[in-house]
Amino acid sequence: MGKVGIIGVGQGRFGIRSDASLRELAFEAVKACLEDADIPLADVESMIVSVASDELSFALQPTAQVVDYLGFHPKPSFRVEAACASGSMAVRAGWMNIASGLADLVLVVGAEKMTEVPTSMATEVLGRAGDFLWEYPFGMTFPGYYAMIARAHMAKYGTTQEQLAAVAVKNHHYGAMNPYAHMQKEITLEKAMNSFMVADPLKLYDCCLISDGAAAILLASEKMAKRLSKDPIWMSGLGLGTGSLALAHRDDLTTLGATVEAADQAYEMAGIDAKQIDVAVVHDCFTIAEIVAYEDLGFCPRGEGGPWVEDRQTYIGGETPVNVDGGLKSKGHPIGTTGVSMAVEIAKQLRGEADPGRQVQGAEIGLSHNVGGNGQHSAVHVFSRS
Amino acid sequence: MEFKDFSLLVQDTKVSGFVDGLERGELLGSKCETCGKIQYPPRSDCPDCFGTEFGWVCVTGTGRLLSYTTVFVTPEHFTPDLSRTAPCSSYAYQPSPVGIVEMDNGLRVMGWIRGIPADAIQVGMRLEPRPEVLRDGRATVILAEERTE
Repeated sequence: MGKVGIIGVGQGRFGIRSDASLRELAFEAVKACLEDADIPLADVESMIVSVASDELSFALQPTAQVVDYLGFHPKPSFRVEAACASGSMAVRAGWMNIASGLADLVLVVGAEKMTEVPTSMATEVLGRAGDFLWEYPFGMTFPGYYAMIARAHMAKYGTTQEQLAAVAVKNHHYGAMNPYAHMQKEITLEKAMNSFMVADPLKLYDCCLISDGAAAILLASEKMAKRLSKDPIWMSGLGLGTGSLALAHRDDLTTLGATVEAADQAYEMAGIDAKQIDVAVVHDCFTIAEIVAYEDLGFCPRGEGGPWVEDRQTYIGGETPVNVDGGLKSKGHPIGTTGVSMAVEIAKQLRGEADPGRQVQGAEIGLSHNVGGNGQHSAVHVFSRS
Repeated sequence: MEFKDFSLLVQDTKVSGFVDGLERGELLGSKCETCGKIQYPPRSDCPDCFGTEFGWVCVTGTGRLLSYTTVFVTPEHFTPDLSRTAPCSSYAYQPSPVGIVEMDNGLRVMGWIRGIPADAIQVGMRLEPRPEVLRDGRATVILAEERTE
């Protein structure tokens, strides 16, 4: 089985994009990606598209809009979905498409338009991604689920609200340097601590944004990548885990078993351990999720995620820089796009092309971690220069 | 809350008897007739032995609170309708805390935490899950301090 490489990346600006439709957002990202690769769409053999929600786009097969607008037909294309991890599923499907020998050049696109519906409806649609039969009837929302994870983590390990806020401060610090980020501004610990309560103990600044946006990467077989690109980034490890639909059914509320499983698989396939990761993007849909991710991915010992961020171990210069693109928190979280955007960011970091002030110097190995729902799916990908 | 009115899909499952149980004052789990596995919430199909015959068991006693939250930003379905309040008036919406308890036999039960001030709720405290029929007739599951009767 040959390697699969990323030979082009692109994304559009994240934010409240009332200026563009779903298909137009996707077009922005694909255009940027193909220009980056310097390859025409005509050469692409197959396309995988991730749009997470029919409900937010008010349509079945929303990806057909994207495929049509790009003029890709009649070539093969299909959609993948796993809520907020849809983008990483698309990346994984793209990898599989090439590893299986079906194609040598595959475009992977993530796109989402979330702001066409009121926040209360988006909250409802997202909340129902959990166990809508047995937990949603108790008014549970996504912030609610992660609030329970946070409360359990605080009770078990003494994690504090200040440590949660420290994640937000870090991610906004880096998001302010990312021209594609939804909220390009720094925040103070005080501002985060004094923001209103969304789901106790999570406050407004503990929660990621509801955003529109798209991203795309071009994947190639080893032979094709070496021929077409002078700087391919290889996908050296893929892991995918699943977890219970109901939060109540988790053995331990302070960890996502799906992530532990996915990380084990990805590290084994790549032949590395967590300490070798030079730069990571993790699924910080809520600040507590980033702290749990440090522990589940093995960046720090279990229970020490709070002090870890307070000690600036996940800033550039620390042990493992995390979410130096702003993360979901500041860059934004168009749910079907996020996993693809993560691959875009890591490829840029490993090519040394991240924005000034947020490039991890000499990064050789990168990681992306993308969670669907509140841990029903988790995808971990390892990327490397060699 | 409102299993009957809100979560209509429970009516349309093979475990719709759960709602009847709530109305009788019983919190029901399921017991696999083949291998004896007990589960809450109830399910008609056993994930261990794939048996599809089940009976009902009552979930009784207290459990340990694993975690809780109070959701202030509510989904559309739970958003209070302020349009009927009098002009120039306002009221503060006070949502109810929600928690998960672990029973001594390992079952987990989610419910509204009722009758305990929010600042007195603590992870690890013992609460009793039980059905509650609300004033409007809808049935729900609450977590409350143990009855001393």
